[in-house]
Amino acid sequence: MNHELFSGILKTVSKPGRYTGGEFGQILKDKSSVSVRFAFCFPDTYEIGMSNLGVRILYEALNRVPGVWCERVYAPWTDMDAKMKEYGIPLTALESGDPLADFDIVAFTLQYELCYTTALHMLKIAGIPLFSKDRGEEHPIILGGGPCAYNAEPVADFFDIFSIGEGEEALPELCALLERMKKDGSYTRERFLREASHIEGFYVPSLYDVSYNGDGTIRAYTPKYLDVPKRVKKRIIADLDKAVYPEKLVMPFIETVHDRVVLEVNRGCIRGCRFCQAGMVYRPIREKSPETLCHLAKCLYENTGYEEISLISLSISDYSRIAELTDGLLTWTDDAHVSLSLPSLRIDSFSEELMKKVSSVRTGGITFAPEAGTQRLRDVINKNVTEEDLMRAVGIAFSSGKNNVKLYFMNGLPTETMEDVGGIATLASHVIGKFYHTPDRNKARPVSVTVSVSCFIPKPFTPFQWEGQDSLEMLKEKQEYLRSQITDRKIRYNWHDAEVSRIEAVLARGDRRLSSALALAAEEDMMFDAWDEGFSYERWLSVFERTGIDPDFYANRPFGLDEWLPWDVIDAGVTKEFLLRERERAYAEKTTPACSEHCSGCGANKLGGKTRWCK
Amino acid sequence: MVQMILSDTAEPSYAVRLRFHKRGSLTFIAHLDLVRTLTKAIARAGIPVRYSEGFNPHPRLSFSSAMSIGLESDYELLDIRLTKTVDPELLKQAFNAALTDELQATEAYLPETKFTDIAYSSYEIRIVTEGASAALADACQKALAGPVVVFKRSKSGDKDTDISGGIRTASVTYEDGALLLKTVLNADNAGFINPEYLVTHLKNTCGILSGDLTQERYTVLRTGLFFADMTLFR
Repeated sequence: MNHELFSGILKTVSKPGRYTGGEFGQILKDKSSVSVRFAFCFPDTYEIGMSNLGVRILYEALNRVPGVWCERVYAPWTDMDAKMKEYGIPLTALESGDPLADFDIVAFTLQYELCYTTALHMLKIAGIPLFSKDRGEEHPIILGGGPCAYNAEPVADFFDIFSIGEGEEALPELCALLERMKKDGSYTRERFLREASHIEGFYVPSLYDVSYNGDGTIRAYTPKYLDVPKRVKKRIIADLDKAVYPEKLVMPFIETVHDRVVLEVNRGCIRGCRFCQAGMVYRPIREKSPETLCHLAKCLYENTGYEEISLISLSISDYSRIAELTDGLLTWTDDAHVSLSLPSLRIDSFSEELMKKVSSVRTGGITFAPEAGTQRLRDVINKNVTEEDLMRAVGIAFSSGKNNVKLYFMNGLPTETMEDVGGIATLASHVIGKFYHTPDRNKARPVSVTVSVSCFIPKPFTPFQWEGQDSLEMLKEKQEYLRSQITDRKIRYNWHDAEVSRIEAVLARGDRRLSSALALAAEEDMMFDAWDEGFSYERWLSVFERTGIDPDFYANRPFGLDEWLPWDVIDAGVTKEFLLRERERAYAEKTTPACSEHCSGCGANKLGGKTRWCK
Repeated sequence: MVQMILSDTAEPSYAVRLRFHKRGSLTFIAHLDLVRTLTKAIARAGIPVRYSEGFNPHPRLSFSSAMSIGLESDYELLDIRLTKTVDPELLKQAFNAALTDELQATEAYLPETKFTDIAYSSYEIRIVTEGASAALADACQKALAGPVVVFKRSKSGDKDTDISGGIRTASVTYEDGALLLKTVLNADNAGFINPEYLVTHLKNTCGILSGDLTQERYTVLRTGLFFADMTLFR
């Protein structure tokens, strides 16, 4: 690429630091000495992609292999995209500046459904044919992974292969296969993909025939060859203490969304909220030891200079050795001016002690997620949190000087009635009431409660995977009703765009027939659908209409309990029997205890691994 | 880790000054992002930086001048206040090891001057443009000799302003197929002149840089900082 031209273009776009590469900590290799060139694409902006923990881990895992060079690629924002088009510059990787088409493997991490259009746009501006069937021997292998790979059927026709589950070990194995086949001369795309389908955790969609029933539901997924597995089992890392974890990071020049050290404390969640996909697909629950975490924290601080360490987990306070960990870190962090932050605090485990230790809690606002407005509905979703728990938690917050509390809820949960919706307003006003009943509250400033309400989206591999989403009209009616119920001006009310949630629902439960709609979306340059600037409900409806897709079929239709689901070709660990059992308990308004109290027999233990609670 | 520390104590005002260059990728970083980048590099380097007092302590760094996006520099100065007495040369080595080739310190010493005494900054602006010639260079030089009226954004409002009073010298020559503008501009706090204004003025008056980026472009390099008497600021 013409370097001077590129520099000239950078002077004309917003945030040029997104496109330069050259950061401290980036990994450079001699391309003549590596046999596999791997482009790791995050289908969103640099600031978002650079914040992703999965990318950080896999960049490290792949680059530890001497024969593999993994580079980073992000989506150019619309201004840069237009300039690249104007000057005929293809999408390139940050480290080498080489076009994506020069790589052996081009991988996309699919973190949310609304990134699909951006991923396809990136292929398009890289000059790589969108459909797997249109690519030849000269093109890279297109790999997908991340949480959306658990049901990647809507994009299955564009990807050659998907990595299902955790990739730290699987991706180097895939690269080793490619390296071997290229060296012994046996490599063709077809042979490689067939071989790769034998590695646990890899799903090659083109190796399955899909047939449909008259009513549009799926009849069967049939492997084309006997050696291709009927179901693809997800990969897990058996021992998190031994898993690859970066000890240094690529240091962005510009501010990113999560510009800090991120320590992954555990995988999985003991709670089993019935709407939560992460809580199901990251099972079985595995923990890192405080020794490993304290060592990593020190290395990462010394190698990055970050002033903040964030402990991440689906539910950090459920980490069985949290006190040991925070005490270990606090022996040096204060002196080094490093602060600790804990996202995802549960209401029932929020304590004064944690509050004192954690600076993000000390200085920032406090957020809790009751998710539903009434105890009945909280039992349906298995939230296992009571109003009493919430009052105790906000009481601690208020008596230590806080005046603002943020509460997260969801509309459209299964069995939700208007009474449940109104319960959100009642709960919020009880929180206000608690403020005035806290004797040692901060009287200098007024109290405010922010109520943020998203829309329920049925997700694969959850007990609610069969549920239809509320119709758009119903979601809007509920949002409107809640607004009418919130009369106290001390309560701020935010709600998610129901139209966005509806498109997410279509894509979350979609099947392969959606590929025609996504191809049309890509053709019409739809991208950045996760951004207000990019999303247009009308364009989505238009694309669906022109490709014969009925969004109701995927978003609103309750799927049959005996129906073949598009993601049944994947074995995510938790069994269908367990999900059905949980669904029944939901309708019976019965909760299920956390893994730490009682094993609910979800089936993820069969994947093995050094687990904390599994039998 | 380089053993830079000579004594575990230092006067509150004790600081080391680094002269550094910034080019390549770093050219595209805004000033605040540069500050963030250097703050982390200083922590990585194990430099015993002094923090400010107060509710929200931050490292005590001061920069000779703010740089806008797109400017390369061979002459930036950074004062780091320290809690310990150090060997400046070893501090420089640790600093450089924590950064890439595109940002490296070339000198380290104990400061004897104040940034508020900086009066001028010199720049070299290389302009690749259609029809570049000795004649065009002359025309450009003449255009910079008279009033240089630019549209300036400021707190008191956006308006057309004649900045020629802030241009100490400006010469344009034709070299290697490009125009080379060497200029010395006001760089004190009150009258700082952004070199981009000169490029904009030449665009408007001499018709340069009107084509597309494949043919026409320019780079701006800061080459020095000076006292009011034009001796080099250190």
